[in-house]
Amino acid sequence: MESVIAILPLLIKMAVIVAVLLLLPMPLTWLERKIAGHIQQRPGPMRVGWHGVLQPVADAIKLLTKEDHIPAEADRLLFKIAPIVALVPPFVVFVAIPFGEPVQMFGTEVTLSLSNMNVGLLFILAVSGIGVFGIILAGWASNSKYAVLGSLRSIAQMISYEIPMGFSVIGVVMLAGSMNLFDIVARQDGLWNIVYQPIGFFVFFVAGLAEAQRIPFDLPEAEGDLGAGYHTEYSGIRFSFFMLAEYLVVVVLAILNVILFFGGWQGTPPLVNPILWFFLKVGFFIWVFMWFRFTFPRYRYDQLMTIGWKVLLPLSLVNILVSGFFMF
Amino acid sequence: MARTMTNKSGWIGKVFFLDLLHGLSLTLRYMFARTVTHMYPDHEKWIPYSRHRGHHFIKTNDEGDVNCVACELCSKICPCDCIIVIPFEDAKGNRRPQVFDIDLARCLYCGLCEDACPADAIKLGQEYEISATTTEALVVHLEDLIAAPGKAENGGQVMPAKLITPDKTALKKTGKDTRTHSVTVEGTLKAAEGYDWWQRIRK
Repeated sequence: MESVIAILPLLIKMAVIVAVLLLLPMPLTWLERKIAGHIQQRPGPMRVGWHGVLQPVADAIKLLTKEDHIPAEADRLLFKIAPIVALVPPFVVFVAIPFGEPVQMFGTEVTLSLSNMNVGLLFILAVSGIGVFGIILAGWASNSKYAVLGSLRSIAQMISYEIPMGFSVIGVVMLAGSMNLFDIVARQDGLWNIVYQPIGFFVFFVAGLAEAQRIPFDLPEAEGDLGAGYHTEYSGIRFSFFMLAEYLVVVVLAILNVILFFGGWQGTPPLVNPILWFFLKVGFFIWVFMWFRFTFPRYRYDQLMTIGWKVLLPLSLVNILVSGFFMF
Repeated sequence: MARTMTNKSGWIGKVFFLDLLHGLSLTLRYMFARTVTHMYPDHEKWIPYSRHRGHHFIKTNDEGDVNCVACELCSKICPCDCIIVIPFEDAKGNRRPQVFDIDLARCLYCGLCEDACPADAIKLGQEYEISATTTEALVVHLEDLIAAPGKAENGGQVMPAKLITPDKTALKKTGKDTRTHSVTVEGTLKAAEGYDWWQRIRK
């Protein structure tokens, strides 16, 4: 019985997080389309509900009722597994992500994270690296040239950008002396890490854009040259799994940017709940990602590789060196 | 972009991504600028300028007769042969059209009929919502032309309007669409209520 009581808060937290994450892409698609519209001086979706707020619901119904089509020559098993493999890592990442200081609730102390692990940052980077498998499987199983090309590009891109991403985070880890995300946030009590690590933030931000395959680094699904890249052959609910994964990766990146460089829930202005403050910052970063998406054109493939290997990797190494000098 | 920003293309511009920042500031400005979309057909409608050449209409005189003297000049000058005029003598002894059919599907809205007309009868008006479910419905007759709206006096603005769909019950009863046009937007034509779209958009 006692073990049940001990495990109950964990189960509730898991249920809440999964429910929120499954519903989160709905407002995000609406927001993305609204931002796209207003950047192009259009109002965006307006017909379904007030200012189109129910548009994602209509889209979801449409996706759910679409024919679930599998190409004749496709590898059926891998084709069915791939969307799930792509969707799981962004969910697993949230195991290690903290949302705020422990709060008092119903007379007990509730930590606002599923697990407080000492290698939280390493865990997040490792798990988000697994996400590429879903894309590889999808591209391969579709048995379509566009899908294979898209997934090949995606593999090369994710592998080359994971290196500068990992290096750029080392500066933050050196400052905090820990890979625990709670410690990293606690370290930013006075000044946020962005002040100490501007280059680290820049490298992490750009590499993050590339990891999430957002414009200007969305070569794996470049509509102009590849149809839709690795999910060309997907339709209906399986396609929406990929969309879900894509939006969750954006959310994860926004959260990581806030935790690592913008002080997490630290530096709260008066009269604002720290947890709300944290989510406001996350929302700001999601908005920035969308703003970038509708501003920049796509990079060419060789430019993408040049930026990754010749600019970001040396920059992140220099950043480690310089922060090392300043610390000793 | 690079060519217009030669002063920023030096190494300082490259290091601080000035051209990228320029693009971002532009889209940020647009994001909070007024949108230029006409909310058509939900609650706005563009009233074209008086020079607009839309659906034809035929003017009537003070006695209620049509101005047309059925000289068939419009029919002859028409480059796509879409006007059929058959004259007859009315009760007052005037030459008037018995049949005046225009095939709107063939018409190219050049306005030559308007130029050729000696009696100030046929004109091209402001109506532009000419859609129908069959090509036959696009052949308009004399009574349609008399009833059609004239040239816009307050053209060049966006007016509050609302969408009017064809009467479904009438459609079921007769088995065919009794109206010429399947979807119409009726604007309230009061000059004070509209706004000048060209003035409002950010240039």
